[in-house]
Amino acid sequence: MRRKFQNSISGAVILLIVSFAYPAKKKINVYLIGDSTMCTYESNRTPLAGWGMPFANFFDSSVKIDNRARGGRSTRTFISENRWQPIADSLQEGDYVLMQFGHNDEAKEERYKDRYTPVPDYKTNLIKFIAETRAKKAIPVLITPVTRMRFDKEGKIQETHKEYSAAVWEIGISYNTPVIDLDTKSRDLLHQLGAVNSKLLFMQLDSLEHPNYPVGQKDNTHFNEYGARRIAELVLTEIKKLKLELADRIIVTPLRSK
Amino acid sequence: MRKASLLFGFLALMAVDFSEKKKIKIWMIGDSTMSIKEKKAWPETGWGMPFTNFWDSTVTVDNRAKNGRSTKSFMTEGLWKAVTDELTEGDYVFIQFGHNDEVPTKKTATTPEEFKTNLIKYITETSNKKAIPVLLTSVARRKFDSTGKLESTHEAYSAITRTVAKETNVLFIDIDKKSQALLQDIGVEGSSYLFNQLKPGEHPNYPDGVEDNTHFSELGARKIAQLVLSEIRNLKIELAERIIIPAVKK
Repeated sequence: MRRKFQNSISGAVILLIVSFAYPAKKKINVYLIGDSTMCTYESNRTPLAGWGMPFANFFDSSVKIDNRARGGRSTRTFISENRWQPIADSLQEGDYVLMQFGHNDEAKEERYKDRYTPVPDYKTNLIKFIAETRAKKAIPVLITPVTRMRFDKEGKIQETHKEYSAAVWEIGISYNTPVIDLDTKSRDLLHQLGAVNSKLLFMQLDSLEHPNYPVGQKDNTHFNEYGARRIAELVLTEIKKLKLELADRIIVTPLRSK
Repeated sequence: MRKASLLFGFLALMAVDFSEKKKIKIWMIGDSTMSIKEKKAWPETGWGMPFTNFWDSTVTVDNRAKNGRSTKSFMTEGLWKAVTDELTEGDYVFIQFGHNDEVPTKKTATTPEEFKTNLIKYITETSNKKAIPVLLTSVARRKFDSTGKLESTHEAYSAITRTVAKETNVLFIDIDKKSQALLQDIGVEGSSYLFNQLKPGEHPNYPDGVEDNTHFSELGARKIAQLVLSEIRNLKIELAERIIIPAVKK
């Protein structure tokens, strides 16, 4: 009898907590800004996928993932093409801005001069994103650029964004902004998979294997749907580790009985 | 001038070619290895899901495959009747069962005789509607022996499917054999990424992780769909002319 009473009390307490916890969850937007490794692709380019695509499946109904990342953009062109201002304008308190640039900022080759952004400018632009996000009481999160697949002859994974990842860390520390070191985490993943199996994550197709790529593809930068999901999982793990409030909005699934 | 008329002729040919292509449906009947997964089961993926991306606008893929179904339960639950009610001349029906037929302890199990009879029934009823049956063996499970050699996991029921294909002279894709070769080629470790294998905490849909050697990840599902596509090309059937042709990229 007493136990029953206690049970109903604890039941009531749980109900009370739950009923407060749920309506308290304000709806938020999570903006993703970045480049081709993050963006959304149309089905005519599948299996090509940015990690923002599977990332959108990880959150409960209180979160709207708004993936504004675009292929080929650097911090500079993202701003100059007026892609940032509309986001800054619509940001609400409690929203997030997850930013991952670098692939195009660091492209020094002549043919990429339209996007190249030297490190000092890259830092200035990141600071702008952070400041304007905070001005709206929204939360900026810095992400180092996801690694390219480059192994040396001994099968050791190489760093491909040294300068720009270091710049992200510098800004993160100076401006007290959370950093997800996706460059390092993705390199760890590729190291663990090894030179051969890492290819399974990237846009590597033999000719005629997929009708969207009749002549095949050998791409060590862009992910297929599987690689995109593995990268999105890495980002999610870091969000949990950083204990961002966003982590409380990850979908909750009851443990499965095996 | 001559160039211009050539160009015009070419354009005219193309226009005719496109307008003449009748719209058709590919119906897919089968089990969980083929079916569309609910969002809460992702990243588990049936190979029928990426398979829909391969076709031009004249083709609609209608994937009716359902988790846990055998040749028997797919019929007794009325799932097959729902297909035959709508089947139209020129449609294709991809038939792939076995996983839930071949395990005697399952409620859905069929004896070898029943399995054979049911497959023939699917084929006959498809042909009766002037639609085109395509029979497939079950896709391989990931089971390696201690020396790293893949073990066959559908031996008996794939053999029955092969026999039925031969006896009925139906279009046939031996995906059991093809997928075994694929898994063997990718190897013990690499092939694990083709299946729904997740560490605890890795994906919110599987908080305690999962180690599945039957059901695919999005990568495995696509690789299997690509194998099926490659066999469709090899069969040189009319359907192969409806594979999507991307606009030429600059």
